[in-house]
Amino acid sequence: MRRQGAVADPVITPEADVGLEASQVLGARPSRRQSKWVTIGSYVVTVFLLITFNFALPRLMPGDPIDAMMALSATTVLNDDTRGALEQYYNLDVPLPRQYLSYLTGLGRGDLGVSIVSNRPVTEELGKRVGWSLLLLLSASAIAMLIGIPLGIHSGWKRGKGVDRSLLGFFLAVQNLPIFILGSVVFILFIAKWDLFPYGSATTPLSDYHGLSEVADIIRHLALPALLMSFDFVTYEYLVMRSAMVGELGSDYLLGGRAKGLSERHLKYRYAGRNALLPVVTVIGLQFSLAIGAGLIIIEGIFSYPGVGGYMLGAVGTRDYPAMQGAFLVLTVGVVTTNLVVDLLYHRLDPRVAT
Amino acid sequence: MMRSGVGRLLSALRRSPMLLAGVLMVLAFVSVGVLAPWIAPHDPRADSGISYQSPSREHLLGTNDGGADIFSRLVWGSRTTLQVAVLATALILVIGLAVGLTAGLRGGLVDTVLMRIVDIFLALPVIPLLLFVAALAERSLALSILMIGLFTWPQTARIVRSQTLTLRSRGYVANARGFGAGPFYVVTRHLVPTLGPIIGANLVFVAGVAVTTEAALSFLGLGDPAAVSWGAEINRALMSRQISFGTLWLSWLVPFGLALTLAILGFTLIGVALEPWSNPRWRRSQR
Repeated sequence: MRRQGAVADPVITPEADVGLEASQVLGARPSRRQSKWVTIGSYVVTVFLLITFNFALPRLMPGDPIDAMMALSATTVLNDDTRGALEQYYNLDVPLPRQYLSYLTGLGRGDLGVSIVSNRPVTEELGKRVGWSLLLLLSASAIAMLIGIPLGIHSGWKRGKGVDRSLLGFFLAVQNLPIFILGSVVFILFIAKWDLFPYGSATTPLSDYHGLSEVADIIRHLALPALLMSFDFVTYEYLVMRSAMVGELGSDYLLGGRAKGLSERHLKYRYAGRNALLPVVTVIGLQFSLAIGAGLIIIEGIFSYPGVGGYMLGAVGTRDYPAMQGAFLVLTVGVVTTNLVVDLLYHRLDPRVAT
Repeated sequence: MMRSGVGRLLSALRRSPMLLAGVLMVLAFVSVGVLAPWIAPHDPRADSGISYQSPSREHLLGTNDGGADIFSRLVWGSRTTLQVAVLATALILVIGLAVGLTAGLRGGLVDTVLMRIVDIFLALPVIPLLLFVAALAERSLALSILMIGLFTWPQTARIVRSQTLTLRSRGYVANARGFGAGPFYVVTRHLVPTLGPIIGANLVFVAGVAVTTEAALSFLGLGDPAAVSWGAEINRALMSRQISFGTLWLSWLVPFGLALTLAILGFTLIGVALEPWSNPRWRRSQR
């Protein structure tokens, strides 16, 4: 059936009755069977493009960066000396290629410039926030796995039954719902109206919690953002787990297992479930990268959670260019790096792709 | 058995309640958008004088922080969303078709280079890029649409390419070429008619993505500041200090969230329902 040269599209198992391969759901990634080195080469080019884009865009825009910066405060008028000093400070007084070179060497040293608003190194500001973003992503991912994978296994196992149909209908319907709508409603109810959860930071400021009470404090702040983000994750993990499970249903090894007298439960989780897990591993990784690129900004924005996404949003609001560029770079490179890791893991995990 | 596209669509509508529901939702949203000036009782930007009014006969959903009629803003907002859905999707269709057909028909080095570019675009995170550009450039609806189009076409291009490849290998393209048909003839007479349903189903999804992206962008405060947009209004409601009092959120935030949800759900339902109908592999395995 498959012809040479036409392998770029995702493979759809004939049994998959909604046609939902991991790669299909998430925009045709990463079922391209290409060599590891092409993947890595693509990654290097992409990162380089992102860095260049990050450097070039503010400079390509009409007008002068210093003017744009000063547009913040209408009362500030620059004299030529100050302007010259500022240009020197931001390294804008040398030719573009040299600016680019020093930008690259600065990046190499981990130097992302100085935030205009806080007047502190962007690298330091971001360093404080990366941890909270990772905590948010990891806990959301864990919650989603605990819900999505068992539901998917069960639903696939009971394919066509009432449970399966209602679960499938629900998740198909909510798969594209924008998270910020639910997020806004949750924010208004649980924080603004009922005041059930703290808001605006990751820990209670000036508190003196230690040990367990400190952990509890962090969880209280984390709960709503993490649950919302996991809602975004769960849908695809369920859909892909279910579809992979359906693909295993008619397998000979299940028949063999039944003949041996293994319990249904054992067959369901230990046999079919384990075999169907591979595409889900990919989805978990891809969800992670999608969330860095979108969910993090939106959810941290709504709940003022002190991560990188919220930081970028804030920097955009205050026109703090160095901060914005730094956060942009961390987020986008985070996304493509996660994609790379997923691709490479896929090569390792799937014996059919492994070379 | 080859029936006409319209006939197949009608019978599909009768068979699938999911498709019917989706089509009705999208139709409702489209007609409100088109008829906005006749449906909306007030100018969506006019200040009625009193902010945060409760719903009344005069103002069906009350007024917002600027004293504007919320119901009229809801109605006019659908027009903005409709513009994004139509224009961004058209842009994506044009770029996706051009790149996909070129790659699929030319093959070789052209194909490899174009597909590498597609790969790179697919790996780029759209929202941060849009944020970055929107922060630096003059914000306008046209910019949002342009950016959404420029960053969402790769998937369409890939589908078009892979379908072109399979069609090409079936031989009738080579036959037509052998009889002296030019590339333009082959594309318009053979490729576009067979690709039609697949691209159509993909475009429904793409329209949903475009609407979601625009809503997210204006929710983040980076859409056109002058446009009346559902996403921006949700943001405005959320930022308002009054929102936690009384039932204001029910008459202000919820209608916009619901409208957006239903529009996107409509696109999703159509896309999911059309999937088996449009996917050729699938069609084969079912008959």
